[in-house]
Amino acid sequence: MIGLRRFPSWDRREVKGCPACFQVIHVAVIVAIVLGVLLPVIPLLVWSFSHSWFFPEILPMELSGRAWTYIGSPLSKVANALINSLIIGAVVTASAAVLGIPAGRALGLNRFRGKTLVEFLILAPIIVPGLAVIMGIHVLFIRLGLVDTLFGVVLVHLLPSLPYMIMVMSGVFANYNVEFEQQAYSLGAGRIRTFVHVTLPAILPGIVTGSLFVFLISWSQYILTVLIGGGRVITLPVLLFAFAAAGDNAVTTALCIVFLAPAILILLFTSRYLSGESGAMGGFGRL
Amino acid sequence: MNTGLSLIFMLAPALVVILVLFAGGLALGFSQSLGYMPIIGAYGFNLDAYLQLIKSPGFVPSLLLTIFISVLATLLAVVLAVATALTLRKRFVGKKIVSFLYQFPLTVPHLVVAVGVLLLVSQSGLMARAAFQVGLISDPAQFPILVFDDLGIGVILVYVWKEVPFIGLIALAVLQSMGNDYEEQARTLGANSWQTFRHVLLPLIIPGILPGSIIIFAYVFSSFEVPFLLGKSYPAMLSVLSYRLYTDVDLDARPQAMAMSILIAVFVLILVLFYRRLSQRILRRSG
Amino acid sequence: MTRKSIIILVLAALVASGLWAGGKQEQSLPFEQRYQSMSWEQIVDEAGGQKLYWYMWGGSDLINKFVNGYVAERLKNEYDITLEMVPVTDAATFINKVLGEKQARRDSGGSVDMMWINGENFRTTRDADLLFGPYADKLPHMQYIDSTDSSISNDFGFPVEGYESPYGSAQVVMVYDSARVPEPPRKIEDLLDWIRANPGKFTYPAIPDFTGSVFVRHLFYHVAGGYEQLLGSFDQELFDRIAPKLWQLLNELEPYLWREGNTYPETHTLLQDLFANGEVYFDVTYNPSEAASLVSQGRYPESARTFVFDSGTIGNTHYVAISYNSSSKAAAMVLANLLLDPATQYEKSRPEVWGDLTVLSVGSLPRQWREKFGAVPRPPSVLSPDELSSHKIPELQAAWLDAIEKGWTENVLQK
Repeated sequence: MIGLRRFPSWDRREVKGCPACFQVIHVAVIVAIVLGVLLPVIPLLVWSFSHSWFFPEILPMELSGRAWTYIGSPLSKVANALINSLIIGAVVTASAAVLGIPAGRALGLNRFRGKTLVEFLILAPIIVPGLAVIMGIHVLFIRLGLVDTLFGVVLVHLLPSLPYMIMVMSGVFANYNVEFEQQAYSLGAGRIRTFVHVTLPAILPGIVTGSLFVFLISWSQYILTVLIGGGRVITLPVLLFAFAAAGDNAVTTALCIVFLAPAILILLFTSRYLSGESGAMGGFGRL
Repeated sequence: MNTGLSLIFMLAPALVVILVLFAGGLALGFSQSLGYMPIIGAYGFNLDAYLQLIKSPGFVPSLLLTIFISVLATLLAVVLAVATALTLRKRFVGKKIVSFLYQFPLTVPHLVVAVGVLLLVSQSGLMARAAFQVGLISDPAQFPILVFDDLGIGVILVYVWKEVPFIGLIALAVLQSMGNDYEEQARTLGANSWQTFRHVLLPLIIPGILPGSIIIFAYVFSSFEVPFLLGKSYPAMLSVLSYRLYTDVDLDARPQAMAMSILIAVFVLILVLFYRRLSQRILRRSG
Repeated sequence: MTRKSIIILVLAALVASGLWAGGKQEQSLPFEQRYQSMSWEQIVDEAGGQKLYWYMWGGSDLINKFVNGYVAERLKNEYDITLEMVPVTDAATFINKVLGEKQARRDSGGSVDMMWINGENFRTTRDADLLFGPYADKLPHMQYIDSTDSSISNDFGFPVEGYESPYGSAQVVMVYDSARVPEPPRKIEDLLDWIRANPGKFTYPAIPDFTGSVFVRHLFYHVAGGYEQLLGSFDQELFDRIAPKLWQLLNELEPYLWREGNTYPETHTLLQDLFANGEVYFDVTYNPSEAASLVSQGRYPESARTFVFDSGTIGNTHYVAISYNSSSKAAAMVLANLLLDPATQYEKSRPEVWGDLTVLSVGSLPRQWREKFGAVPRPPSVLSPDELSSHKIPELQAAWLDAIEKGWTENVLQK
């Protein structure tokens, strides 16, 4: 609560100051946002169709479909990689939801001894570098036969992504009024009915936001997939990195576009949940 | 709220996954860093790897560079995020589209951003070519060095581009949940816009975005893919150094790689604790 | 039945079951304990139906198409073997994999069947006992390999002894932009003069990049006054006499390099980027056809050409090897043999496919193949096989490389 503070009166002039100035600043910020977002991304499309494009040309000297033909051909394994990435992403997201929703509820609605410790443990995987943990876990996974398997990769993707789901859900549950559930019970509704008709609609924005984060984190994993998937589980980032490291700009950027497409689609569906009108993003502020 | 037993049921699955994967991996990595590596017949428990690492000439420069990049990226991201959030909460023509664009970077994997930034700001990138076309430079060498440079500017750019929406959306959520009351109160007390911002809005936003900034800092500190693609060969960021040691076919370097990862983890934890202490002090002062 | 015939029947049954059990016993012995006594036809037979994972560098769409297309199709159609190419950015990835599996005692059913490998990596895998073999001599097509060529029977000075089989040749060439450098400097001393006269227009990849390393080795030969004395095993005292001259040369050269030598391109790829955009005017590469491939992909200007030093450029061989815990060793051997098939080598040498030099001794091939190899159309940027082979100089043993690479990092990079 702000205190009742008197502000120096010589600044009072600026209350009626320059509304036009602020308009200009606001427009400038908006333009900056649009430009800033588009500038690194639009050239990717152009590069993917380029044949010769050397300094100092602003536009490609020649165009060609070589990169896209290659990507579309089964010999490039891009289709396989795309499917792998999608499947892994879906399984990781579903698992994170199953694990994370109850955990988020426990944290959001309760105070208990050791809660800080639990919160710390949940946050630890995203604060401590994944590389450190994965290098250590590699041998264990080999012994358990989890390397080179889709399942092993799914497990390893859960590590950096599950905490996000838990955080978002705990934020949503913190704003959640349990009494609605109790009212439903008192009206004679069973547990499942209550969950479906009372709880679920209220926490849906959180589930959607959390799922978005989890999916995106899994979608863009590179080093974890490479180490545990061992080259057998080929996902889009793995292919992308190979071509980026080899400097083939056309194929690299074409892969970038393929990589981006599903993520954009998902964002189109979930955008409204992110825009702040729900308590979803607030979960990040409650630590 | 919930009984102890039901709490355990809700939290246990998630915690088990995290404990086994995270704590297990960390413990195994730690033991390897102490020299316990059966495959090369090393059963020692010693601090050799750590000592070798700290004494190696590349370590301290890498550490300093990593701290520098992480701090600068986080600071810039926070400042830009708050500035843009202040604009985005207003109503304006095309807000839907701009909001969507604002969220767009969240879906773009870091690798793709790195490729985009490289093609944009390298000495033969699009910006350099534009500079040539308008006559600002006549040779790629005259364009400022923004990638593979001493300060990691390209790397910072990538992270700022990715993280501004992340913090920005959190800030927006906080701003929206606050409503306009505080601002209006401040206005009636005679505050101008800057004072309103500095003394009213900022103290209310900061607690909300601090956890997010800690997450960003920790992520940038330990992330690998972007500096691997865009960073200078020497000194390299710590995670790149660690990866080089891990993939060195000379297995004697493996304990050093683990030691490096553990050190990174410890640094991050210390910095996070320090950050937390600092944020608590800010919270108290603005309360 | 008479008692006699019953006894005969029982004895026959016993003998038959004994044979059958013995045969089955033999069948369940792991491949590595049986293959030496098997004929090639039996190996091919056993390989039928197996699935094979070949780990190799995946950064070239040309090579990927060749392996996933031509090679995989022939394996499937002719031998019923399923090939899965696994692209990696760095050989260390799969070496670490096999190492990790050995550490975890996973001695069969390994995930890496075949690997594209040579040089220091070969030595590492041999030292750690990660390879199956010796197998090369069982491959029928090895007859076309010149067994007296020590650059094939030795991989960076380390005897191959059949634990690898070759499948292609590499030789360093210098790439230059003929539009900017009309007459390239063919002597190393002339190149150094050119660099000093044209500051900022030359650089080489930072060690441990393979290409950067080999460029520095050429200069090592240069300051040593020749390579002959270096060919044996590592001589610390000799190295200590020659190396300081190399560091002095490289450090003195630094201010004239790109970015004044403050940084070197991390990878060969980055150097290629610099060359393509005219930031530097030279490139170094192990693949004599690479410039042609890159021109055809639109990644290099059409004025790109290549040359070799008068004093020669280093050449080596690339090999495949089979991991000790592979469950498809028979199929891997079939693949290794297929790679040495003149038809495969010819296809591989076509610039629009890959342009990789053949490792076969062309003189020992049947005449129709000799003619075909002689008639492979060459783009202008590719040197003739004669020019290349007459300027080919050998690699050093791996220990020399280690010393040079370590020394470069300490004396030049970190100054």
